[in-house]
Amino acid sequence: MSRLLIVDDEQDICRLYAAELEDEGYQVETAGSAAAAAELLTSRNYDLVVLDVQMPGESGLQVLQNIVRDKPELPVILCTAYSCYKDDFSSWLADAYVVKSSDTGELKSEIARILGKRHMSKNQ
Amino acid sequence: MQPQCCWHKEQIERHDCPNIRDGDGPLLFDRKQRFLTRCLTCHLFIEDLRSLGPAAGDLPQLLPFAIEKLVALEAENRELRGRIGSLEQQGCFLREVGQELQSSLDKDGVIAMALTAVTAGEGFDLNRAILLLVDHSSQSLNGYLAIGPRDHAEAGDIWREIEQRKFSLREMAQRLKEEKFAAEREKFQDLLGVLSISLQRSNHLFVQTLDSRVSRHISDLAREPGIDPAQVAALGVREMILVPLVSKRRRIGLLLADNLINKRPLGERDQQALETFATPVAYALERAELYERLQMELERTTVANQRLKDQQLQILQMEKMALVGKIAADVAHSIRNPLTIIGGYARNLAKTMPATDPQRPAIDSIIRESLRLEDALEEVLLYSEARHPTLDDWDINRILHGVYAGVQADLGQTAATVELDLSPSLPLARVDFKRLGYCLRSILKQLIHAATSDSHIAISTRLSGRQILLSFSGTNLAPVALPESGKCNPVGNGKSSGLGLALCARVLEGQNAEFDIQTEPQGTVHMTIAITLNEERIHEPVTDC
Repeated sequence: MSRLLIVDDEQDICRLYAAELEDEGYQVETAGSAAAAAELLTSRNYDLVVLDVQMPGESGLQVLQNIVRDKPELPVILCTAYSCYKDDFSSWLADAYVVKSSDTGELKSEIARILGKRHMSKNQ
Repeated sequence: MQPQCCWHKEQIERHDCPNIRDGDGPLLFDRKQRFLTRCLTCHLFIEDLRSLGPAAGDLPQLLPFAIEKLVALEAENRELRGRIGSLEQQGCFLREVGQELQSSLDKDGVIAMALTAVTAGEGFDLNRAILLLVDHSSQSLNGYLAIGPRDHAEAGDIWREIEQRKFSLREMAQRLKEEKFAAEREKFQDLLGVLSISLQRSNHLFVQTLDSRVSRHISDLAREPGIDPAQVAALGVREMILVPLVSKRRRIGLLLADNLINKRPLGERDQQALETFATPVAYALERAELYERLQMELERTTVANQRLKDQQLQILQMEKMALVGKIAADVAHSIRNPLTIIGGYARNLAKTMPATDPQRPAIDSIIRESLRLEDALEEVLLYSEARHPTLDDWDINRILHGVYAGVQADLGQTAATVELDLSPSLPLARVDFKRLGYCLRSILKQLIHAATSDSHIAISTRLSGRQILLSFSGTNLAPVALPESGKCNPVGNGKSSGLGLALCARVLEGQNAEFDIQTEPQGTVHMTIAITLNEERIHEPVTDC
C-alpha cells in the first residue's frame, strides 16, 4: 500500500483529501505546516507528497526545494489554490501541479499516474 | 624760342598735348604729373631740349636713358601691383574657404568646398579635381568624388553658366553639394572605380604619395612606374598634381588635380598652393568624420538610454503585476479553499448517500454550484492575468489533444458525435499554453453544454496563409444555449457562458489571435480561432510532438 503525506495548513482540506485518498486505497498522513512536514519527512518514508504552496511560515515551494535536495526520489504534487505558481520556475521541480478543486479526480489521476510510472520503473 | 611741348604750361587744353587720352582730365591741370607721365616720353619734349643748343650739353642724349629706366621701373611697379592684387584675391579666397572648412562639420560640405576651390576660376583654376578617401575598415583608398568637365563641350557649358550666373565660391560649393553631387559621382563612377586601390600596395604611386606625406607633380603620367596602365588610360592626362591629405596621425585621402581640358601646364606655384590648401582640408575632413562618428555614438547612446528607460518602465509594470498576482493569489486562496472544502465534503457525502435519499438533491446542488463557483473564480483570475500572457512556441494540435482528453468525462454525458481533423503539418505558434488551453476548454464546454442527442461536433486545425485556424463547429445543438454571432466582444456578455467566451476573446487578443463566432438557425454554430504566425514560423512544420 502506497504511503502519502498531505501538507496543507487548512485542516479541513487535509481531512477531505485524506478521506478521498484512503477511499482509493492509499495510506495517508497529514501535516499542517512546513515544519511539521519536515519532521515527518525525516522520521518516516513516504511514496508521494501532496503539497500546498501558500502556507504560513515556510512556503510549500521551500519545502519542495528541501525535498528535492534531501530526497530527490520522492515525488511531489503541488496542490494549490492559484495556478499562477506554475509560472514560478521553482515549481517546475514538482512532478505534477494540480489546482485545488472540490472535484478531486485530477489529483487522484495524477497520483495514480506518478505512482504507476514509479512502480513500472522499479519493476524494470 | 617757343617750346613745342607743353611741359612749361601750368594748365593746358586737350589739343596742346598729343599724348593726352580719355580719362587724363586731371593731367590738364597738374603740371608735375603731366611732366612725369607724358612729357618725359614725348618726342616734342626731346625736340625742345635739342633746341636749347650747346646750353643743354649732352642732356638730350642722357635723358632717353633715364626715361627708359623710368619706364621699366613703372612697368615693374605695375606688375608688382598686379601680383599683390592677385595675392590679395587669393588671400580672400583662402580665407573664405578656410572659414568654411573650419566651421563645417558636414563631410560632404567640406568635400564640396574643397573640390570647388580647386576647380573654380577664382580659386586654383584647375580643370578637374578627384578625391580618393581612405577606408580604414577595408584598408583601401577609394574614389569618392570627382568634379570637372569630361570634354570641351561640357567645359564650355559649365564655364558659360558660371560666367552668366556669377556664382560666388560658396554658392558654387553649395550647389555642388545639393544639386550635383550624385550626378558628378555618376558621371565619374567608372573613373572612381578604376582609381580605387588597396593600401597594401605600397609601391603604387597613390599609396607612396600618401605614405610619404609629400605632394607630387607628375609631368608624364605614362612614364610613372607605380600606376596601373588602366588607371593612366582612365585619367586621360599627361600631367597631374597629387596631394596627400593627412592629419597629424591619420591618412585621410589623396587629392588629384589636372588640366584635362585646356592643357595649361601645371607649375610649381600650382603644386605649392594645393599643398598649402591640403592641410586645412585634411583636418576639416577628419573633424567632419569624427563628428559623424560622434553623432552615431550619440544616436546609439540615445537608443540605449531609451531602451533603459523602457526596461525601467517594464520593471515597474512587472512590479505592479507582481502585486496584482499577489492580490489574486490571496483572493484565490481565500475563496478556493472554502469552495474545495464545501464541494469536496458534499461529494464525499454523496458517495455514500443513496440516490433516493431526500437530502440527495440538496447535496447535488452544493456539488454543482461549488463547481460553478470554481469555474467563475478561474475565469476571474485568468482575466486578471490576460493582459500579460507568457508566450512560448507550442504545437497547437498538442494543446488541443490535451484539452480534448480533459473534457472526455463531459462528452461521455452526451450522445453527440465528435470528429477530430487536425492538420499534421502545422508550424509552432507563439501562444500562452495555459490561457489558450483555457479558451479551448471553454469553447468545447460551450458546445458540449449545447449538445443534444443528435448533435455533431467537428474540431479541426489547418494552416491558411500566415494563420493557423482552429475551427469548432456544432450542428443540431440546442439553439437557446448558443452564443451570438460576431467577433466576440472581450467585455461583452457571452449570455450563455458567464464570462467564458468573452474572456476567451480577451485572452486570445493578447496572443495575436482572433476569435469569431457564426451562429446559424437550427442550432448550428461555427467558432474559429485564427492565430497569426510570425513570418519565419510559417515554413517550419512541427517534426515531433
